[in-house]
Amino acid sequence: MSPSPGLVQSRGLEALLRDLGSNLVRGGPELPAAARFPTGLAEIDHALGGGFPRGRVSEVVGPSCCGRTSLAFALLARVTALGELAVVVDPADGFDAASAAQAGVDLERVLWVRPPGIGEALRSVEHVLQASGFPLVLLDLAVEPSASLRIPTSAWPRLRKATAAAAAAFVLLTRQRLAGSFADLALELEAAAPRFESGPDWLAGLDGRVRLVRSRSGPAHADVGVRWQTGGKHAA
Amino acid sequence: MPMSAYAGKPVESTQREAMSASPAAALQRIACLLVPALPLAAELRAHPELLGRPLAIAAGPGPRAEIVAVSPEAARAGVRPLTSVVHGRATCGALVVRVLSPALDRAARDALLDAALATSPRAEHAPPGSGAYGAEAAVFVDARGVAALFRSEAGFAAALAERARRLGLPARVAVASSRSVAQIAARQLAYEGAAAGDVRVIAPDEESRFLAPLPLDLLSPDDDQAEALSRLGLRRIEDLLRLSERALVTRLGPRIRSLLALARGQDRAPPPPVPPAQRLEEATDLEAPLERLEPLGFVLRGLLDRLAERLACRGLAFGDLELELRLEGGGLDARRVGIAAPTLDLRVVLRLALLALEAAPPTAAIEAVTVATRGCAIRGDQLDFFRPAGPTPAVLARTLAELAALVGPSRVGAPAVADDHHPGATRVEPFRAPSPGTQAPPALAAGPTLAVRALRPPLPARVRVTGGRPAWLESALANGRIERSAGPWRTSGRWWSPEERFAFDHYDVATDDGWVVRLRLDLLTQRWEIDGVYD
Repeated sequence: MSPSPGLVQSRGLEALLRDLGSNLVRGGPELPAAARFPTGLAEIDHALGGGFPRGRVSEVVGPSCCGRTSLAFALLARVTALGELAVVVDPADGFDAASAAQAGVDLERVLWVRPPGIGEALRSVEHVLQASGFPLVLLDLAVEPSASLRIPTSAWPRLRKATAAAAAAFVLLTRQRLAGSFADLALELEAAAPRFESGPDWLAGLDGRVRLVRSRSGPAHADVGVRWQTGGKHAA
Repeated sequence: MPMSAYAGKPVESTQREAMSASPAAALQRIACLLVPALPLAAELRAHPELLGRPLAIAAGPGPRAEIVAVSPEAARAGVRPLTSVVHGRATCGALVVRVLSPALDRAARDALLDAALATSPRAEHAPPGSGAYGAEAAVFVDARGVAALFRSEAGFAAALAERARRLGLPARVAVASSRSVAQIAARQLAYEGAAAGDVRVIAPDEESRFLAPLPLDLLSPDDDQAEALSRLGLRRIEDLLRLSERALVTRLGPRIRSLLALARGQDRAPPPPVPPAQRLEEATDLEAPLERLEPLGFVLRGLLDRLAERLACRGLAFGDLELELRLEGGGLDARRVGIAAPTLDLRVVLRLALLALEAAPPTAAIEAVTVATRGCAIRGDQLDFFRPAGPTPAVLARTLAELAALVGPSRVGAPAVADDHHPGATRVEPFRAPSPGTQAPPALAAGPTLAVRALRPPLPARVRVTGGRPAWLESALANGRIERSAGPWRTSGRWWSPEERFAFDHYDVATDDGWVVRLRLDLLTQRWEIDGVYD
């Protein structure tokens, strides 16, 4: 009795996977380096295949005190250092200019928009994407305490299309994933452990982890530890 | 484009002869761009939908107002100037009557100058006409040396007429050696019923012959002079020139000398000057007051469109807009709309104007709209070869205006580190994209730098202090035992002002529910607050 066609197919697939071995990776085709914005943090950039992809929606997700803002500032610093303009859409009004400047962000190249609500925030994002010339748009929805974010589902395909048309990197900072499959990249950050040092006591930083949980244009998984430093002085 | 030369001679040959015969006489060449019935032209320019309809312009509102100008369609229907509106309506049932608008007239008159400046750098308004010519508008244009640019004076005249047509003004153009002859020739064209756009070139040696058979009315004598000349039986210019000047001055007074100079085509005035840069203005009175902004958009589009055409004539672009709205009840809403970079992109300018209005709508219905701008030269940006250019200034201005309208002007800008010791001090600067390569960016941090999220306003907290240090935290954010803390760091300032002085003790604390926050004790009120979260 000959094996069923389904079994033959399955065996063929197994053999193919064996042959490909380590050449086989999950995820989509890789983007060229020029189509990514690095964060300047070597391990994270390596894990992302070069940085945050342009023309795509990315999500940085995690609870409070996990390093979302620190990662966003690192990205902003690199992008503004390249001479590019960036937009921070900040409905929670949480952008700290002194902290951003300490991270190396060129504040003159940052357009800071503080919409009063989520609806205005999404419309602001659309406006700046349509303008073209702002290759990094950060939408900070990591509101504290967590508020119910009512974002219509229809917003994501529209934003994704506008992001692709503007060839901009649209990065979303949130507590939980919002864009779903419309995000090409998703990073989950774990709650970080504070690091205090003595003599006298001071906050030296946070030890956190960054996990790549979704990527359509690069490696699909990665797990990187990051030691965020305060710079050895009071951050205020 | 129909073109006529006096006495049936081809223009080119007449000109050549003139140039060779008396080069000195050809030094001064003036073109006159003339619109015979300006109120009518101004109305049709503002409301092109009235073209082809019987239209009358009345001197004022009401049925007894005098009609000052009529369209050809109205004239064919029997409506005549100097009759009343009620008479006009009785003559032609379909007559559309509009009240004379000084604002439209002024804009049309200025537009005529702009048309002239599109072809020659020197031009000036003709003095206002009187009597039968009171409704005409004319501009004198320096036409010396134009043949090199336009192949001939006729070509120049045709280009002038075409420019005026593009600005919505049906003009006649005549070129002669003096202002008076050029104006008379242009008037003659209008009298002959020549179509708009028709031109006439009078060669220098043909001027006397051209003027001789023309009626004296074309010299626009005042009423006394006209009556006296009529009494003497003088009808044509040649009749006047046949008489001795001395005899005429004896009988009609010395003022007749100026009329004689006109009849001889004498012009002692210097060539038209280069006009100074001026504020370009377009205005319209609305038939019915507008209460909503949406229909105002259509009105503004028409005004800006006309303004853009005029700016293009001068090779300029929109600078800041001055918007004046006359409101019902006598109020005036004047505002300035900033244009970040000179542009001729009508959509951008219109959007910015509408956004400014949406941000602060007028307080009453709008009766009249005036838009003005000082034209600016378009500057080319020097782009960096290696650095990105960013959005164009026009797009950036539009985007910023859209964002300001959406979220409020004070909530859009570039963040800046405030020069202040107060921990909550924040500063927002107007966003101006730095030119590429103008300055070096700040040094990048050496490694992963921990950032702070600000809480604005700070979150009230209850703190239990044990042994002089915070030990327990209760707030809407973090709640629990404080596992580690660092501090205090004292910040104080503005001690000279009882209202503004501050003094804080800051602590960095980590709670057992996972929060790492910046806690502060207000030493003046003894209240605890969280003003930042390490993230």
